[in-house]
Amino acid sequence: MSAAVSPALVAVLRAERHQLNERFAAARVRHPDLDAEAFAKFIRGAIDPLVGAVARTRPEHVSHVAVAAYDIALELIGQKLAGRSARTPHVGAAWRRILPEVAPLVAAEPERMIAAVCNASHHLASTAGARPAAWIDLMVRLAGQVTDCATFLTLGQVAAWRSGMAHFRKSAVAAADTLPESLALAAIEAPAARWSQVRDRLIADPWYDPAAPNDASTTPRVVARAGAFRGFGGLFTEPPTAAMADGQLFVRGGSECWLLMADAFGATFHRATREEFERGRARSALPDGISVRGGTATVRGCSVGLPSAFGEVTSACASHTTLALTSPHTHAILLVALPVA
Amino acid sequence: MGLRDVFQRVSQSPTNPHAAAAPRTFDVADLYQGPVSSADEQPGTAAAPLDEKLRQAYFWIVNTAIISPHYDVEFNQAPPQSFVLGDVKSRLTLPSAQSYSSYVLLPLLTFATRRKCLFVGGPGRGKTASAILMGVLSGASVRDVRRAMQHGHPQMTVADLLGNPLPADLVSAQRIEDIRISWRSWLGMRVKIIDEYNRIPTRTQSALLTVMGDNYAEILNHIYECPDSAWFLTANDEQGGGTYQVIEALRDRIDVIVQALAFNPRFLSELLVRIEQNVRPEDAVPRQIMFTEQEVDRVQDEIHGVPLPPEVRRRLEFFASQFEFFEGAAEQFEYKTKDTARLAGVEWAGLTAQDTGRDRLKDLGCQTRNGLSVRVLMTLLVYAKALAYFRGNRIVELADVRQILPFVLRDKLVPDTDAPFFDAPGNAKYRVDRVGWLRQLFDLSCAEYDRLNLDAEDPVAALAAEFREGLDGVTRVDARARLVKIERLIAEWSKGRKLYGNLYDDLLSLKYIHQRYTNYLRWLETQ
Repeated sequence: MSAAVSPALVAVLRAERHQLNERFAAARVRHPDLDAEAFAKFIRGAIDPLVGAVARTRPEHVSHVAVAAYDIALELIGQKLAGRSARTPHVGAAWRRILPEVAPLVAAEPERMIAAVCNASHHLASTAGARPAAWIDLMVRLAGQVTDCATFLTLGQVAAWRSGMAHFRKSAVAAADTLPESLALAAIEAPAARWSQVRDRLIADPWYDPAAPNDASTTPRVVARAGAFRGFGGLFTEPPTAAMADGQLFVRGGSECWLLMADAFGATFHRATREEFERGRARSALPDGISVRGGTATVRGCSVGLPSAFGEVTSACASHTTLALTSPHTHAILLVALPVA
Repeated sequence: MGLRDVFQRVSQSPTNPHAAAAPRTFDVADLYQGPVSSADEQPGTAAAPLDEKLRQAYFWIVNTAIISPHYDVEFNQAPPQSFVLGDVKSRLTLPSAQSYSSYVLLPLLTFATRRKCLFVGGPGRGKTASAILMGVLSGASVRDVRRAMQHGHPQMTVADLLGNPLPADLVSAQRIEDIRISWRSWLGMRVKIIDEYNRIPTRTQSALLTVMGDNYAEILNHIYECPDSAWFLTANDEQGGGTYQVIEALRDRIDVIVQALAFNPRFLSELLVRIEQNVRPEDAVPRQIMFTEQEVDRVQDEIHGVPLPPEVRRRLEFFASQFEFFEGAAEQFEYKTKDTARLAGVEWAGLTAQDTGRDRLKDLGCQTRNGLSVRVLMTLLVYAKALAYFRGNRIVELADVRQILPFVLRDKLVPDTDAPFFDAPGNAKYRVDRVGWLRQLFDLSCAEYDRLNLDAEDPVAALAAEFREGLDGVTRVDARARLVKIERLIAEWSKGRKLYGNLYDDLLSLKYIHQRYTNYLRWLETQ
C-alpha cells in the first residue's frame, strides 16, 4: 500500500501503525465482514487525496486529519456506505470531490467536517426524490467561497434543499438568512438579486424557482409529477390516491401511506400512518373556486389542461399553493401550482 | 476508536420509531445526523427524551454487555410467523414488532421505577453481573457498586448488614441516644444489590425486610433513612431454597422475578473477544446511558403519568377477580375467599374436594391456591405503565399488561398443581413453566371476558358509573328505583347461575352500592 499513497499519509500510517491496527481490529468486531481490500482501496482513493490536500495547506494537521479520516472510513466501509460494496456511490463521491476542496476547513475540524459531508450525502442518497449528485456538484462549485466550518455546514443545508430535499424548505430558508448574501443566492442558484426579495418570494410561493424565474405565478400550471411505480425505483405498487390534512399532502399506494413534501426544488416522501391519510381524506373536498373536470383543472376562473394521457381523476385535493391529482393510469401524483394570491 | 470504544457504542435514536403525529416539521439540521458520528458529539443522545435514553441503555446492554439473545417479551403489529417443531409440537414465534429480552428489560424497568427485582437461575449465568450493570447505570463507579453489594452468607449478622455502634460510645455513653452508629455505606446507594439473599439467616432477613419494605434501618433506636432506590437480589433457587428459608414477607416485597436463561453457545465468539481483549462490560458503560438521580425522578413521574385506559383496566379487573373466591371457605358471603381457608390452616386438598358443582376445568380460580393482593396489583399497574413508557407509547396497551404480568405474578399467584387443569392433555408443562402458565391464564381470562361481551354488556359497570356521579340531587324515588334495579339484577343472577370469581366480586360490588343507597335513603327519610 505504501508505494501507492502520498508520503504524508505513509508517514502517518507508519507513526500510528499500532493504534490504527487496533482500530481496524475493533472495527472488525463491530463489522465482522469488514472488507480489508475495499478499505485499503478507499485509503488510496479517498483518504490519500484528502491528506495530500491538507498537507499542501495545513501540514501540521495531517496526522489528526488522517486518523480521523481512517476512523470514519472504517465505519463507512463497515456499514457498506462506501467502498466497492456500497449501496450508493454518493458517499464516496462526496468524500473524494468535496473534502479536498475544503482541506483547510477539514484540517481545522476533521471529525466534524468529514462526518457532516458523509452523513449529508448519505441522507440525500437515501431520500427518495433527492439529488445527491447535484448537491455534490453545488458544494464543489461553491467550496472556494467558504472560509469557515460553520458557514460551510450552513451552505450544505441550503444546497441540500436546492438539491431536492423539499421537506427542509422552511428551516433551510432560515439557514440561508445567516449566510452572506452572495452565498445564499448562489446556493439556490439565483441570479444576482437582493436575498431579501428572493426570500420573500420563496416563502410566498413554494413553486418559485429563482434559477428559472417565470411570470406565470398568476395562472395555474402543472409543475411536477411526484412518485413512480416500485418496479421503476419508485414507492408505489399501485396508482396512489391523495388527501390533504392540516395543509400537508398525504398519499396512499396499496397499504402504505406517505407524506409528500414538494416544491420547485423537488419532492420527497416520508412514511405516514393510515390515520393521517384517512384524516386527510375525511376533509378532501376541494376549496371553493377549484374544480377538476374533463381533463381540465380550473382555479378561480383560470384553466389548465391536464396531460392527455392522465385520464380519469381518482382523487384531488389542494392546499393554498398546490393542487394534487391522481389517476388510475399513473403511479405519479400530478402537482399543479396554484396562482399566488 | 479502541476496543473499549466498541463496548461504548450506544444505539442511535430513535430506537423504537413511532409514527409521527401530524402536522410534522422537518429541521435541516438533521441533514448532518446519520450513520457517522464525530468524536465530539453523539447525535440524538444528549437531549434525548428519557424513554429513548432508557431504550438506548437497553440496547447497549443487549448488544454489548449481556449476551441474552432471548426475545421472550413479544410484541406484534401484524400476525407473527409461527412454526411448530418437534414431537411435542413446540411453537416458535417470530414477532412482527420490536420485542425484548425479559432478562434485561425487567431489571431496567425495575431501575426506572425503583422497585425490587429478583434474578433467579443457576450459578454463573450473569445474575450478579446484571445487577452490577444496573448499579453502574445509576452513575456509581464499578468499584463502589461492587463494594456496596451485600453477599448473603449463613453467618451474616444484622450488624454485618446495617452497621455497628461505635465501640468507644458503647463504653462511655450514658444514654442510648449518645451511641453513634457506623452505618454501612450500601444503605445510601441508589441501587442496592443483595447477592444470594436466600443464604441470609432468618433474623438478618427480618432486618433486611425493614430496609426493603419501609426504607429505613434501625440499630439501638437510631434510624437511618435510605434514599429511594432500586433493589436487585439474586438467588440460585426462587423457591426460597438455599441455606435458609426466605421469610414470606421478604419474598412478598419482591416485585418481579426474572430468570437468567441458558447461554446460547452460538455466541461463544463474543465471550472470546472479552477474554482476548480483557474487557469487562461493566467497566465500559457509556456516560450517555447513565441516569442521574433527577433523571430517575423524572422517569418515575413520567411512567406514573402514562394512562391506563378503562378498557384495559376492566380486563385486568376481570382477570384479578378470578382467583380469590372460594365458595366452600365460609358461610358469610364476604369470607368466601382463599385467604379465609389459608388463615384457618385447613388442609387444601380436603377443602377443594368439597368444591361445588362448578366446572373446575373451566374455572380459572381453581388453578390457584390464592388470590392477588393489593400490593401485587399496584406493582402490576406500575410495571405495565413502565413497559408502555419504555416502548415509547402514550398509553398502556393490553399487550403491555399481558407481557409484564407473568414476571410480576410469578411468585405471587401460587398454582394448585392438583387442579384438573394441569391434568388436561398438553397442560402438564404448566406445572413447571410459570411464565407460560400465567400468560395462558391471562389469555383464557380475556377470552372469557370477550365471550361474556363485557365491553358492551356490563350492568355492574353501568350501576357503578351511575353511583359515581354522586348522590346530590338523587331523590327518594330515584334511590328506591336504583335499589330495585340492583335487587333485580342479583335475583336474575341467582337463577341457576353458578358462582365464579368474577361474579362473586360483582355481587360484592352490588352489595356495596346497595348499602350506600340504603344509607342514603335512610338519611333522606330523616330529613
